[in-house]
This record gives sequence, C-alpha cells and structure tokens, in this order.
Amino acid sequence: MIDLLRILIAPLVWLAAFSGIYGLHGVGCAYGWSEITVLSLSLFRVALLASWGATVLIQIGLLLALCSDRFGSGSLFVRRVSVTLGWVGLVAAIWTLHPVAILSSCS
Amino acid sequence: MNALRRHRKLTRVWASEPGWRGWFSTVNHTDVGRMFLATSFFFFLVGGVLAMLIRAQLATPDSAFVGPEVYNQLFTMHGTIMMFLFAIPTFEGLAIYLLPKMLGTRDLAFPRLTSYGYWCYFFGGGMMLFSLLFGIAPDGGWFMYPPLTGPLYSPGINTDFWLIGITFVEISAICAAVEFCVSILRYRAPGMSLDKMPIFAWYALVTSLMILTGFPPLILGSVLLEVERAFGLPFFQADLGGDSLLWQHLFWLFGHPEVYIIFLPAAGVISTVLPVMCRTTLLGYGWVVAAAVALAFLSFGLWVHHMFTTGIPHMGLAFFSAASTLVAVPTGVQVFAWIGTMWKGQPQLRLPMLHILGFFVTFVMGGLTGVMVAIVPFDWQAHDTAFVTAHLHYVLFGGFVFPILAGIYYWLPLFTGRKRFFRLGEWAFALIFVGFHGTFLAMHWVGLLGQRRRIETYDADAGWTAINFVSSVSGFIMAIGLAMVLIDVLLHWVVAVRGERNPWHAGSLEWVTMNPPPAYNFASLPHVDKREPLAGDPDLPVRLAKGEGYLGDPFVTWRETLTVEAASGRPDYLVIYPTNTRLPIALAAVTGLFFLSLLIKVYWLTPIAVFGVAALGWWWVWSQGRQSDLGPQDVGRGLSLPPSGETDRSPGWWGTAFLLAANATFFGSLIFGYAFLWTVAPAWPPPEWLEPSLLELGLGVGGVVAGSVGTRVAARGNRTGGAGSSGLLIGLAGTVVAAAALSTLMLRVPAPGGHAYGATLLVLAGYALFHALLTGLMQVFLIARIRRGYTSPRRRAEFPIVGLWADYLTVIVVLSLVVAHLPGMLG
Repeated sequence: MIDLLRILIAPLVWLAAFSGIYGLHGVGCAYGWSEITVLSLSLFRVALLASWGATVLIQIGLLLALCSDRFGSGSLFVRRVSVTLGWVGLVAAIWTLHPVAILSSCS
Repeated sequence: MNALRRHRKLTRVWASEPGWRGWFSTVNHTDVGRMFLATSFFFFLVGGVLAMLIRAQLATPDSAFVGPEVYNQLFTMHGTIMMFLFAIPTFEGLAIYLLPKMLGTRDLAFPRLTSYGYWCYFFGGGMMLFSLLFGIAPDGGWFMYPPLTGPLYSPGINTDFWLIGITFVEISAICAAVEFCVSILRYRAPGMSLDKMPIFAWYALVTSLMILTGFPPLILGSVLLEVERAFGLPFFQADLGGDSLLWQHLFWLFGHPEVYIIFLPAAGVISTVLPVMCRTTLLGYGWVVAAAVALAFLSFGLWVHHMFTTGIPHMGLAFFSAASTLVAVPTGVQVFAWIGTMWKGQPQLRLPMLHILGFFVTFVMGGLTGVMVAIVPFDWQAHDTAFVTAHLHYVLFGGFVFPILAGIYYWLPLFTGRKRFFRLGEWAFALIFVGFHGTFLAMHWVGLLGQRRRIETYDADAGWTAINFVSSVSGFIMAIGLAMVLIDVLLHWVVAVRGERNPWHAGSLEWVTMNPPPAYNFASLPHVDKREPLAGDPDLPVRLAKGEGYLGDPFVTWRETLTVEAASGRPDYLVIYPTNTRLPIALAAVTGLFFLSLLIKVYWLTPIAVFGVAALGWWWVWSQGRQSDLGPQDVGRGLSLPPSGETDRSPGWWGTAFLLAANATFFGSLIFGYAFLWTVAPAWPPPEWLEPSLLELGLGVGGVVAGSVGTRVAARGNRTGGAGSSGLLIGLAGTVVAAAALSTLMLRVPAPGGHAYGATLLVLAGYALFHALLTGLMQVFLIARIRRGYTSPRRRAEFPIVGLWADYLTVIVVLSLVVAHLPGMLG
C-alpha cells in the first residue's frame, strides 16, 4: 500500500492545494481582504502568493523524496510512475495556480 | 484427479441455480456481469430512441411533433439514461465480467455485493423507466439546476424521480467501485505485482477511485435538493440563506470527473485491444499508467469550467481554465502511446480495429473542441449552445461508445465461445461513423450560428433549417448502424459456429479460460511472472486445467480463491466465498422500498424499510464466519495460508476502508457546502446562531472517544484470549451518549425551515447521528458474535472493521459538533 501511496501522493497534494487556494480565494473575496495592504501589496495577494509558493515547495520536496533512496520505491516500475507523477504534481501546481500572481483578485 | 473430474467438481461448487431462477440467486461475477451488460444495453436502446425523437422534433422548424413538456422530458431522460443507466453500468458490467478473469482469480472480492449492486441498478433504473412510460419523467435537464428544479418551479413528482432514482442507482456504482478497488489490489493471481497487472485493471482501479470520490458530492446534492423539495429546508433558496450555485458546485464536482469516469474504462479497452490488433505490446505501459492517474486527479480540478458564465471572479475562472488546458497533456500522452503502439506493430484492420480508428478520429476532435471551450472568452460565446452539446457527444460517443463497441467485438468470442459468421458489423461501423459525424459536425455549426441547446423548436427564418435536417437524417443513419450492431451480436449469439480458444492470440489471462468461461474461471490459479502470461506459453491453459496451479485440489463445498499482497503479488490469505443466495435481491428490494417511500411521500413506510435494511444487513453479515478455528490451509504448490477471517486486514476491512473514503468525501462535501453558503450566499449571517452548549459538546466528544477506545480495548482483549465484550460495552455506552448529544443538537437547531444555516446544521447532526446509530448497531452485533462463539484470538477479523467505523464516527462527530458550536461561541 505504501507503493500505491507513493504513486498517488503528488497529485493528491496538488488537488488539496488547488481546492484549498480556490477556497481561500472565495473567503478572501467575501471578507474584503484585498482592501488590507501589507508592504504595498494587498494582504489577500500576499496570502495567495504565499500559499502558491508553499504548494510549489511542497511539490518540489515530494519530487525529491520520491527520487531518493530513502523514500522512493524499491520497485523500478513504481519509482518511475511515482516520479513521473511527482513531476505532474509540480507542473500542475505551477501552471494551474499561476493566476494568483497575474490576475485581479475579486473582479 | 484428471481435468474433467476437476471441472465437474468445481462446476458443482460454483454453478448458479439452473434456469431463470438462477438470475435471482446468482452471485457469480460472470452471470452478474452479463446481466449488467444486457440491462445497460437495453437502456442504451431506450436512450437511443429518445435521441431519435429529439432529432425528429428538431428536423424541421416550428415542429409540432411533441410539445415542450414532452420535449423537456425527452432530452432530460436521454442525458440521464445515457450517463447513469448506460455508460457507468456498462463499465461496471464489463469490469465485473472481465476483471477476475484478467487478474487470474475466481471471482470478485464481495460476490453478494456485486449482485446487490446489480439489483439496485435494476430497480432504480426501473423506477426511472416507469416515470418515462407514465409521462412523469424528470424534465429539468440532466444536470437539474435549481431554482428551476426547486419546489417553486417544478412542483410535480418529475424531479423527485431523478433525485431519488439516480441516488438509488448510484448505490450500485459505489458498490462496484468498492468491489473493484479491493479486487484489483488484493484478488490477483500470485506473482502478479503492480507492474504485471493488465492495463485494463489499472484503468478500472483509477476509475473506481474516481467513482468513490466523485459520486458522493452528487449524492449529497440530490439529498439536499430532495430535502428542500419535501420538507422545505432552504439550501438553494437565496432569500433564505441558500444559493443555487451550491448545486452547480456539487453537481459539477461529480459531473466533470464523470466524463473521465466514462472515458477512462474505454481507454482501458483501447489499451488492451489495440496492441492485440497490432500484434505487439502496449508502448509506454508505465507512461500510460501515470497518464491515467494524472488524468483522474486533474479531472477533479475542472469542475468550475462548467460555470464560467455564473459571475465567478476572473482569478477563480483562470484556475480552472488553466487546469482545463493542462488535462489535455495526459490525454495526449495516451493518444501518442496508442499511435506509437500502432507504429511499432503490424495493425490488422479487423472489426475491433475499425471501431478503434473511429474512436481516434472522433475523440481527438472532441478533445480539441474541449480545449476551445476551456478558454473562458470562447466559452462565454458558446455556452449553452448546440456547440457544447456537439462537443460532449464527440467526447462521450467517441471516447466511450466506439471503444466499447471495439471491446464487445473483441471479447464476443470469449462471451459466447463462437466465431462471427455474419459480416453485418463492418457495414454497421460505416453507418455509425458517417451518421455520427453528420449529426454532430452539423450541430457544432448550428451552435456557432447561435442555436441554444434544449430549445424545442426554432423559426424557419433563423437559417438553421438545412443544418438541423442534415443532423437529423444523419442521426437516423447512426441509429440504423447501432441497430445493426445489436442484430449482429444477437445473430452471433444464436447461430454462429463454435470458435477456437483465444482467436486473437492475445497474451492476457482471460483467454486462458474456456470459451465461454466456466463459473469458476480457472481450475487452478496461475502463478504470474510476466505481464502477458499467455504470450509464449500456449500450454498454460492445459497445465491449469490439470490442477498444476494454486487451489488445484478443490475442497468439496467451498468456493475458494487467494488474495495477494497489494504491491508485490505475494499470496497471503485463503478466501472462502459465500454461495448462491437471494439475500442481495431481497436487500435491494427493501432498499428500493425505502426510496419509494420517500418518492411517494408515504413516510410511515420509511422507518419500516430502514428496519428491513438493518435486519437483512445483520443477516448478511451473520451468515459469514465460523464458530471454530480453521488455521492455515494447504493451497497447493507447497504453500499454506490462513483464511481471511483469521487476519487483521481481511477483505471486509479493505472494503470498509474504501467505503469510508467515499463516505468521507460525502461529509467533506457537506462541510464545503456549509462554508460555501457562509462565505458566498446572500442573506448571511443568519438571524440567530445555535446557542453553544459545553455539556453537549463534551458529552458528544467524550462519547465517541469512549466508543473508539472501547472497541480497540475489545480487539486487544480478544487477541490476548479474553472475551472482548467488556470493552465493547464501554464503547457502546460511549456511542449511545454521543447519539444522545447529537439528538439534542438536532432538537436545538434554530429554525431549519427559516434559514440555510439551521437546515445545514440539521443535516450535519443527522448525518452524525445516523453514523452513531450504525456504529452502535455494529458494536451490538459484535457482542452477539462474541457470545455465540464466532470470535477467537485467531478469528479476529471483525474487530478492526468495527474499529474503523468507530474511528470514523469520532472524526465526524468531533468536526460536526465543533462547526455547530463554534460560531455561537465566537459571538
């Protein structure tokens, strides 16, 4: 079962982060976080960027773990599939959440 | 024992009752798989007739063929039948029939559950069909958006048929998904590690996990909408704190993954059949597995792309637009793997291959229009037009029907043991292909010209007449082609001559069995050491028939198979299956009575049905197990294994774990709904919060923790030779206390009919209370089992299962109580 977890973990983390950041976006818009300013950026933008950055870092960490001897699978097949899906998780985290950096938040 | 005697002995043990009575008592996967497929294709026929009626109506402008009321029922039922009563059950039927044969085992993990799932589908589908025949069919479109489907605008029973009937049918899908997950991970031939699994099994596993996490949001949405319609709890009414967008979120949380739930099994068929048709092996097996898993996960990040025109902020739209474009990548990986497979091999233009080529052309075009509608500005223009209808038919017909037809023609010799005699199939394919593209290319065009979907007619001066006429004529050509497939298959079944075993010279294990396969599949179970065990080993069927595999010496009355460790394929337990029984059909009938009582609003019948389900469920579980230890048994090839009832992680534990995963998704969706209404819906905050009660909170939390700890203490006591009853009694007392706290909460919820806040808390507490009662019932059951001698330090499998439910109860009760009390505590 650990091997199955290795296969599923990276996309699962992406899905959780994607849903979480979409939820955060909804909460921030509902409670007017974009009106609060921190370091010339809105608090909302900072929170979204921090969440995106954390997601990407976690995905990088997962990918490194899946490639390592300590956490990676002993089965060559599972290792290949899990590392491929580690890359999927990382690319998905960067691409699907990149709007937090470039688009207006609540309009 | 020679092969013939072994065959006769195994047949006696595994055979269903003879004649039509066997349909009602069989639990054998081969029988149930065939019943599923026959029923799903009957519904395909019904859905197809409805499609022809729709095209007849739209063939000419200002048509008076049917009125708007009937037309609404036609398109709603067409979509509903094709999605819920044809596509998913066809996957279920095919997988039920094929998986044990492909995996080298004798049946699925829970044969009675297979049968129960079929009968739920049969009765639920029958309910839907009844509504159609009597003109009271659902008419709100297959995605049933409120407020149109709310009590104000759809006061009749039509919508209730959809909400209740489809929920009933979905039980079948959940049963099948649990069944497949456990079967694929544990019920394989010894030696079949994850990398040696047939590719279809990977797809079925991924699809099943998607069903477990994709269907619960829709079940929740259906429950909430039905409760709103029946009891006036306002989840979707904006003036009372509800929001109709909540339905759209819940529906599409299911609805978009649903597209891939339909496509992925078909892709599994392609990945299985295509290499055989090309005389080679699948190119990039590992890449295809990774692509299927990636597709499954990404598909859960697309749901809002069905809601681009609902006024969601740009950033939210962009998340889902980006995810929608990304999903094309793993799809492309699979398509390129298939093209590479053709390039590598020597494609033969046999009939299954024709349908595969039809799939390629159609599905790739559907995928490209999918990328078009994933782009927000384009979607704003095309939304709710016939363009979208055409796109989804390219994806679903191209991505499901063509592959399934390829699969049917490929496995037909296995099903019947005959070879094709008539050559109608090739002509049928030509008509289907030409007819399909004529119908839906035209529909893209007319959609871009502005024709809305679901309109019952149009003016002659709209300029759409010729296009619609071409579309309708092509639709009828396609229908003739599909009818010819049906005739071809029936002729094959009835009059074709006996064929050879493994006519395609495939390498997978289903072709090792006799054609048609016997009820037990394999006289002895193979040891697998490569991905295509039959390739290069033509004597394998003979050796297995001679009993040279595992379990080659059948016990007189037991239906036996082995389980394996999930990753390595190392054999670990012996499984003894239940035999033929009418319990599944009886339980499905009583479950149907429960749904029927809600549908016709005869509420005094509801508790009787619930009691009936509980009683039959008790009987179901009680009839399993033994009152004496069995110990490790000789399973052949010098190996002895313990029976699964004498382990901690029995198949029942695995099934429970997967069922709870689906259950947790349901609960998570409910919490999401609560948060969504709170943050997005108008008319919040509610007039009053729930009065917080530390006593209620403390009793509830303390009760479930005691319930969980007590069950663990009982398991430990049993393992060390004690009775375990005392721990269970503590656990039961804790569960009763928690149930009391939840009942109090339900009584104190502020005006559930007056605001969505109170309504949501009521459902949340009701959900938790239901689970408390269920867990309590299990604890009582286990106490009774201990008293009757069904447990021992060896026979311990039931304790961890009840423990899982107790732990789950703890989590949901704590969360429910916290979210109920916290707002009042914070002020």
